[in-house]
Amino acid sequence: MKWKYLDQYPKNNARHLWVLKSYWVTLKQIVKSGLRRPVTIMYPYEKEWIPDYYRGRPGLVFDKCIGCRVCERICPTTCIEMVTVEDAEGKEVLRPQVNVGRCMMCGYCAEYCPTKAMITTPEYELATFTREELIFDPFQLAYEGHNEEMEVHIAENLISDLEKGIDDRFLSTVDVDRPILDDDACIGCSRCARECPVGAVEMIEVGKTEKGRAIKRPIFDNDKCIACERCIIICPKDALELKEVL
Amino acid sequence: MAPISDWIVLSNPMNNPLYPFGVSNMPYNAGYKIWQILGGLIAWLIDVIVPGNRVSLWLMGDAVSNALGMILMVIVIFAVCFIVNLTMIWVERKVLGRLMDRRATMIGPLGYLQCLGDGLKTFLKEHIVPDKADHMTYMWAVSIIVGSSVLVAGMIPLSYRFFLHDYGAGLLIIFGLFAVAPLMILVAGWSQNNKYSLIGGMRGAAQMISYEIPILLVFAAVALMAGSFNINEIVRYQSENTWFIIPQIIGFVVFIVAGTAEAERIPFDLPEAEAELVEGWQTEYGGMKWGLIMLSEYFRGYVVCALGVIMFLGGWDIPFLGAETWGAELAFLLKVFLLFFIMAWTRGTLCRIRTDQILNLGWKVLLPLAILNLFVVVVLKVGGLF
Repeated sequence: MKWKYLDQYPKNNARHLWVLKSYWVTLKQIVKSGLRRPVTIMYPYEKEWIPDYYRGRPGLVFDKCIGCRVCERICPTTCIEMVTVEDAEGKEVLRPQVNVGRCMMCGYCAEYCPTKAMITTPEYELATFTREELIFDPFQLAYEGHNEEMEVHIAENLISDLEKGIDDRFLSTVDVDRPILDDDACIGCSRCARECPVGAVEMIEVGKTEKGRAIKRPIFDNDKCIACERCIIICPKDALELKEVL
Repeated sequence: MAPISDWIVLSNPMNNPLYPFGVSNMPYNAGYKIWQILGGLIAWLIDVIVPGNRVSLWLMGDAVSNALGMILMVIVIFAVCFIVNLTMIWVERKVLGRLMDRRATMIGPLGYLQCLGDGLKTFLKEHIVPDKADHMTYMWAVSIIVGSSVLVAGMIPLSYRFFLHDYGAGLLIIFGLFAVAPLMILVAGWSQNNKYSLIGGMRGAAQMISYEIPILLVFAAVALMAGSFNINEIVRYQSENTWFIIPQIIGFVVFIVAGTAEAERIPFDLPEAEAELVEGWQTEYGGMKWGLIMLSEYFRGYVVCALGVIMFLGGWDIPFLGAETWGAELAFLLKVFLLFFIMAWTRGTLCRIRTDQILNLGWKVLLPLAILNLFVVVVLKVGGLF
């Protein structure tokens, strides 16, 4: 009654010899790990093999960057801040500064960078003694020996294409969207043209007011545009909108 | 004023009329020679300061040389024991590390110095005695456990020429002193005023007392077959006939299993049982006390392995070369390490057995097997095969 499960076991006392099986298993393990080195890696002295396209801390190719603020906008942890620095010619330019202590190494900045100036470096040993040292300015972000493998390219399918049944057309994010002007709302203030990092916006006269002053409207050079949304964000009257144009 | 070479004379200790051993004894020779160098230096210094004094002559005389030679011999034996013990800890750690596919100890050449580092670390810890513990028994119990373990380990002879004393009843004395610790484990567990240590101490006492009986029966069988309790005689008998593992394979298995339980090693480490009883009967011992307890457990493991080698694997006997050859100590230690490797391998293989199973195993399996072994020996002896 009490030991109803006990009856199901075989009455053979030799069943206790299953213990010897585990000895055989461990003996095989001793021989195996005695012949080769153990799997442990002595980390500070030996380093793990790093795969291709490893996403470590973000890096910056200073000369390729155009200061379009896409990385700052796309960063999930808002660790990127645009700062004004002097380039080699003494000109003041906008460049990203990364708080590596907050960075989660997702590589989105490198994915969405229109000029592929942001790269993902294979560097992962980032411990410092102070938090201030973790904030990498644009010059610290440079990585010697960067190559094309460190750039991150993404491609997307258009939803409109998928609806039409085309699923093999891959486009760069830069090529898909373009700003569209709402003509009635525009006041011709030219801020979009001043803000544009690639000079794709040109203000042209479309007529004159009753007082004889020029009415200006922006014209977008779609080849130059990188869809960075600077003009849309800066527009005081919300006259611009980013739309899928392809 | 005599030159220093007159004082430091490396003479043969056998020429000393007070030589305490009948045969050549390696550790005594070493201790005697160490004293001849040290004492010769001291005697020379005293002679330089006070020329022609009688203290220098007394220091280098037969009686003082003999007495200090014996003290230094004990130190030499302890040092050898200690180094063997450290090597065993190293063997265990390396085997366990390889079993778990990791690098084990890493300090020093091949990780050998890790034990010394651990010893230094425990040595630097604070000496803490629990408030409600019984101070006297708390301290004396651990002293006796450590002391008796080290004493027993020192009494194991490494070869026919490396021994503390050639006892007539060596096996019995060694095992009698080996059995002091279980009582003290119970006392230690009780004195700490802690439920975990009390349960651990009671388990330890119950387990050790019940496993001593099969071991004693195995001892009886071995002594019966060899016709003596003297370790030298047992080894010589095995060297002349055959290693006792062949006729007494049952006894060997019983001895290894029961000895593992006596040394409180996995799978019989119920008194410690860190998963249920914190640290068992050692819970309230900290710092160097705990370090010494751990060390003494390895000393006890060494004693079990050494007794297994002496009784079943021919002691310092090398096949086809005989028992009294040049590398007898090395052969003995190699066999000890082989047996200890099996114990470490067991530790990496099996899990701890249940409380009810441990006494069942001791009384219902090992005791009948030990009696069977004794019966086999009696039959062989009466049949005239041995």
